[in-house]
Amino acid sequence: MKSKNWIAKALVLGTVFFLAALIVKPVGVSTQFSVLSGIVHSTIDPDVISEDNSRESGYRSSNAYYDKSEGKLAKDIKNPLNYDFIFVLAIPVGAYIAYMVTKKRNKKELDDTLELHEIPEIPKLPKQKQNLAKLYLPSFIGGFLLLYGARMADGCTSGHMMSGIMQGSVSGYIFAAAVFAVAIPTAIIIGMRHNSKGGAK
Amino acid sequence: MEILLAIILGGLFGFALYLVGASNPKKLLSMLRLQDLSLMKIIVFGIGFSSVLLSIAIALGIFNISHLSIKSTHLGVVVGGLIFGFGFGSVGTCPGTCVAATGTNGIRKAIAAVIGGLVGAFAFSLTYGFWKNTGLFKAMDLGKLTLFNISDKFPSVFEIGYLGLLIVGILLMVVAYAIPLRGRKNKVN
Repeated sequence: MKSKNWIAKALVLGTVFFLAALIVKPVGVSTQFSVLSGIVHSTIDPDVISEDNSRESGYRSSNAYYDKSEGKLAKDIKNPLNYDFIFVLAIPVGAYIAYMVTKKRNKKELDDTLELHEIPEIPKLPKQKQNLAKLYLPSFIGGFLLLYGARMADGCTSGHMMSGIMQGSVSGYIFAAAVFAVAIPTAIIIGMRHNSKGGAK
Repeated sequence: MEILLAIILGGLFGFALYLVGASNPKKLLSMLRLQDLSLMKIIVFGIGFSSVLLSIAIALGIFNISHLSIKSTHLGVVVGGLIFGFGFGSVGTCPGTCVAATGTNGIRKAIAAVIGGLVGAFAFSLTYGFWKNTGLFKAMDLGKLTLFNISDKFPSVFEIGYLGLLIVGILLMVVAYAIPLRGRKNKVN
């Protein structure tokens, strides 16, 4: 593991948080999950969001969440080509560029990732391939819990912890405390169970 | 213009998340298991550094205060954080990092997490009315409370303005520096 360049990486990360806040607004991700699922929802059920010119947002919804804050989310669902949505869509592009740029340099480190087909010497591969559900269901359930919790808290690691703490928002500290109070024991217990089963996570 | 900025800044964010290793669930999990704390150091230091930059920008008067986005503090933040913690601790990804990971070699699990996230967000949209009726968002309601009074729009705990952000920022950087790279020993890996 690299031990020297962690500060350089931290400076890059911190600069990005700051630049986003300076130029447009602090980074945030999880709201856009509500927007995208709302786009699908309102495509299947067009009546869920309707136009309402008496409101500043111009929209109202029969769903209490989309209707919240004068129909702000309803508006974003109907007009997704805005800063917040495109910001999130651009994240994988940046990650892909970073992946390609560092690919050769960090070939060894990349082998650490969970994508098992990258590591041919792992004999467990055929068994896991048979069981797609077992391989991907945890990620699906994990993602479900993450976004259900993040929407309830009105923010995720990006909006609450990184941007929130940067700005001195009390909610960011409270969210971070609640998250780590559960995430650390959960990760340790699941890690121990994996170990006792002899499975290398 | 706004869209162009979204592409540039979103791209930079994704680039940074990959660069520091946050898009790799294995790294996040070994951080949460308190084994390899390098990512913890990076994130804490990064937040501290951004806080310092922000306080300097405010002091110089080049920061548009209306860009601040302070979220409300209420019981929903605690309960939501606890639920979030289960997901974070079990799969080692978060909403931002799983989106970033769809651009990397961890794409398959990342897509499973993103789809799970979309379903989770949708489930919350449908149950928001229920939670609202329980009073979850009204309990422990402190409003958009900040530690320091950097904007008159938000109530604050301490009246020392951007100086507070500078102090906290430096403190976070010191804490990050002090966190050991290696934490608990474990047979994993």
